[in-house]
Amino acid sequence: MKYSNPQIPEGINTSEQHPLKEFFMLTTGVLVLIVAAVLLLGFFADKLAHHIPFEVELNIVSKELLDGPEPGPMQSYLEGLTERIVSAQGLSQEMPITVHYVDDDTVNAFATLGGHIYMFRGLLEKLPNENALAMVLAHEIAHVKHRHPIRSLGRGITIGLALSMVSGTLGDMMANQIVSNTGMVTSLTFSRDQERESDKTALETLMVLYGNVVGADQLFVVLQNAEGTMKVPEFFSTHPLSEKRIQHIHAFGRELSASTTTQQATPLPLDFADWLSLETTEKEHE
Amino acid sequence: MIDLIILVTLLALGYGFGSYAESRHYKSIIARENRLRHIPAVTSRFPQMNNNSRDAELVSGSVVISVDYFKRFIAALRNLVGGRVTSYESLVDRARREAILRMKAQAEQLNADIVFNVKLETSSIHKGRGNSIGSVEVLAYGTALKTQQ
Repeated sequence: MKYSNPQIPEGINTSEQHPLKEFFMLTTGVLVLIVAAVLLLGFFADKLAHHIPFEVELNIVSKELLDGPEPGPMQSYLEGLTERIVSAQGLSQEMPITVHYVDDDTVNAFATLGGHIYMFRGLLEKLPNENALAMVLAHEIAHVKHRHPIRSLGRGITIGLALSMVSGTLGDMMANQIVSNTGMVTSLTFSRDQERESDKTALETLMVLYGNVVGADQLFVVLQNAEGTMKVPEFFSTHPLSEKRIQHIHAFGRELSASTTTQQATPLPLDFADWLSLETTEKEHE
Repeated sequence: MIDLIILVTLLALGYGFGSYAESRHYKSIIARENRLRHIPAVTSRFPQMNNNSRDAELVSGSVVISVDYFKRFIAALRNLVGGRVTSYESLVDRARREAILRMKAQAEQLNADIVFNVKLETSSIHKGRGNSIGSVEVLAYGTALKTQQ
């Protein structure tokens, strides 16, 4: 018997396919899958979270967790405005809104679980008139009205859990990063949708309260300036671009054919500036 | 954003060096296979017994090859969707052939004519590191046989 090792043609045990082709097909395929999965999960989590009763939110955010608002002239002014906006938006009795004035430089305002709304001094200082302030407050109250905080929470938990399950199986740190970042960026579309919805409700509220939407755009001019020159693409942002929000407001104003001149704006109370500086000076004395 | 830049750099490095190393390795494998073709390596357990058989010795060759970043990235994505992990196929193919070649080189030094009962063993080297290090070891061993001319 004669033994031999003849030359075997190449490419039997390996693939002919170019590795770069496989790389691009796999990457796009997986990314498309993740985007689709996140959108689907987010959609259903959002729908389900909407059915959680508001009482549950109130129980989650109990008194022990949050300090009650500190009394003061600004606090009472904001509470008065909140009451008007709540009745304008037709919120039910089961959805109590608690507004908190926060003496801090942060240019921000936010709504969270249990109908708690935080207004920062930093933002209030920059607002030119009551309409702009009402726009902020109405926007945050609209978040509560549409149950956005609990829906964001439900969605965040669902998507986060799903993404960590997927990225856990990958075993490569960088690939994990890509998967979870893609998922997170995708889920921001929900956040931007919520902002648009709240903007719309807030504008309708302004119409009820003042008969016009004057000052609403001024709020976003303020925000735009606070953002500075660093422009983050909308795709990576939790909020729609301020420019676009201003455009929407102008379009809304035209729709209602309400003439928008700043003369029609309701001025802030005369003592507003004093209220703002009051608490800071008190702090300085301490 | 910085993550993405690091990732692309790692992938480019992995692909560049990995494919360069692979094509060089394949060239060398093919050349040495041709040179060592006169020593067949076969899997039969027993040689033909005849009076010419003189000496039998154990010969072995082993090699460890590491996966590059690019290949591992593709394999990680494959984990999600399933299918042939083509990026690893060429890796283990190279390792197997290299191990056999090293075994044959040892047999050549012993002036053997044939290697019988060739066996291959594979192990992956990632002790305690989970999936983070991907190296494959292939060990080839057999019985080199010298016959009297």
